[in-house]
Amino acid sequence: MKEYPKEWFARRADIEGDAEVGAGIPPTHRSTYTRPPPPDAIDTRIALGQFVELWRRNKGWNPERLANEAGIDTSEILEIEQDPHCSPEPSAIFKLAHVFGVPPRRLLEIAGLVNDRTPLLRESAIRFAATSKPISSLSEEEREALEAFVAALSASTKS
Amino acid sequence: MSAKVYLKRAKDGELVQATLCDQITQNHLDQWETTWIPEMKAFAKQRSSASGPEDAHWDWRGKVGKGATFLSHCSFALESNGNLQGMMMANTVVSARLPEQFGKPLVYIEYLATAPWNRPETSNPSRLRGIGSAFVLTAIELSIDEGFKGRVGLHSLSEAEDFYEVKCGMTRLGPDGAHQDLTYFELTETQAESFRRNI
Repeated sequence: MKEYPKEWFARRADIEGDAEVGAGIPPTHRSTYTRPPPPDAIDTRIALGQFVELWRRNKGWNPERLANEAGIDTSEILEIEQDPHCSPEPSAIFKLAHVFGVPPRRLLEIAGLVNDRTPLLRESAIRFAATSKPISSLSEEEREALEAFVAALSASTKS
Repeated sequence: MSAKVYLKRAKDGELVQATLCDQITQNHLDQWETTWIPEMKAFAKQRSSASGPEDAHWDWRGKVGKGATFLSHCSFALESNGNLQGMMMANTVVSARLPEQFGKPLVYIEYLATAPWNRPETSNPSRLRGIGSAFVLTAIELSIDEGFKGRVGLHSLSEAEDFYEVKCGMTRLGPDGAHQDLTYFELTETQAESFRRNI
């Protein structure tokens, strides 16, 4: 496109002001945007959950710290880590990718939020999911947390 | 290919450099999905409305994918500081309707939208001004490049009619029954020249 001087845009912006400028398809066709369900996304979402958890633990962060760093809800972190059937918001994955320093597009793909999926990436994700599950015994802290939770469960059953 | 354009920051009137890209890329679509959609949903929720702004339902990923299969379709994206500020799709095989240029080819703007934070409806005050004008200028330049002498046509969303008629100087041809009664506007060669000369 031919270049226009700054003054041209300054004047046009003043003329335009706060006007609405949308043009296109009839409003009666409106409906809320819904994402098509991603095919076979569960396998890579398991990998996503494990990746988020391991990355966080490797940093020594709890879910709340990661949520704060990314600017999303703690509940969303827990959901991503623990529920492969969850439907994370693309914006949450986008923000996590920035914290992790990985390409957002790849993380969106692992999350099953894009339709074009790279076979090699999917293979890597499944391999990661299969090999990253801890097989070592629980740490002292994990055992204490587990026992406390079991105790809480028992208490609520009794009451 | 890209071109340098300028937008005006609403809060202090400063001109901000922006880039007009002559293709909507995967990155733009990812930004649309991760930044525009959540804001439009939040706006709809705030207003207790099911659908939000008039164009909230537009699936840009689908539109761009479909348009890529036609040589007659062009897409444009406007970026500032790496952030997607607006998108437009145009078609170059549409004929004019105004009697004085009836049947002559023009550039038809199929879709034009700005980021939710640049709209008074969803963000008050809006952040950047001049996006609509930059896109209309782009359509005029495309029309000239195609040999259509600046002729442009479009169906305006209801809230934007004043912009196209009063601020861009387009001719209102009235509601179009074939397009759900949206108002159709057209720009002639003379009107396009006035717009380019900023008069």
